[in-house]
Amino acid sequence: MTGRSAARLWKTLSFVVALPAVGVCMLNCYLKAQHEHERPEFIRYAHLRIRSKPFPWGDGNKTLFHNPHVNALPTGYEDEN
Amino acid sequence: MAHQAHSYHMVDPSPWPIFGAAAALLTTSGLIMWFHYSSTTLLTMGLLSMLLVMLQWWRDVIRESTFQGHHTPTVQKGLRYGMILFITSEAFFFLGFFWAFFHSSLAPTPELGGQWPPTGVKPLNPLEVPLLNTAILLASGVTVTWAHHSITEGNRKQAIHALTLTILLGFYFTALQAMEYHEASFSIADSVYGSTFFVATGFHGLHVIIGSSFLTVCLLRLIKFHFTPNHHFGFEAAAWYWHFVDIIWLFLYMSMYWWGS
Repeated sequence: MTGRSAARLWKTLSFVVALPAVGVCMLNCYLKAQHEHERPEFIRYAHLRIRSKPFPWGDGNKTLFHNPHVNALPTGYEDEN
Repeated sequence: MAHQAHSYHMVDPSPWPIFGAAAALLTTSGLIMWFHYSSTTLLTMGLLSMLLVMLQWWRDVIRESTFQGHHTPTVQKGLRYGMILFITSEAFFFLGFFWAFFHSSLAPTPELGGQWPPTGVKPLNPLEVPLLNTAILLASGVTVTWAHHSITEGNRKQAIHALTLTILLGFYFTALQAMEYHEASFSIADSVYGSTFFVATGFHGLHVIIGSSFLTVCLLRLIKFHFTPNHHFGFEAAAWYWHFVDIIWLFLYMSMYWWGS
């Protein structure tokens, strides 16, 4: 299936297979994201939200990618207290 | 001697190796100052000097090769061995983190609720953004191969298009991962699940950024006519590294995202 050149083959694969596959996956993500999910209730598990020592940024209590809407602090969700 | 009677490259004396070592010392001690004494001065100096050493060292390699012609086939063979050995060492680096993941996930302790994912941890759905990310990296592997063959066949315009597309896909992956990190309901502090997940995917993401940077430098060099159809090892090294990053992702996806969910 080499046709005239290898570059031609890989260009074809890029636009006919690879990029459309990315497009299909993008569509799938978009559709799945339409229905938002409820966040789980806060249960103070000992093995979660571990704080052996403060983080070296901010108040030392929030992880680097902290999202107040979905990440609870060791004491609970910030917007519930 | 007056002229060289062998095909190797005896490099002129250079300050970059020792400056690189100094940068590593500044960076590591800088991390200690940051973690334990809340000071970022040393770390900033370390990262800055590391960046400057990399830019100047690799600039010199380009001068020695593309501009001065010191990279004979013999020299190139050595560089190929070097890149292969480096990527192999990186594979072992990731092997350690996969070991840690399987150690904890194959026999989850009572502290985790005797299950994996641990009690209270809601894993990411592997069929949503992680699947898209898989498609993106696989697609970028196809486009970088298109770029390589375009270079070999002397097709400048297509090579530039293909390499640009590859880099854009890489940026898209990074952006999506950053979003996923922000949206995940679990964090690095959520038991050994969070530790293994974020350390492994985090180092992988760092390698994606490194690979994207490497490819971007190649794009700039491609545009500036540095590569010939028969001699373009810098690009090949970048492409090998990029394929490696893709393969690591596939293992991450199959083990942590899919099996581990």
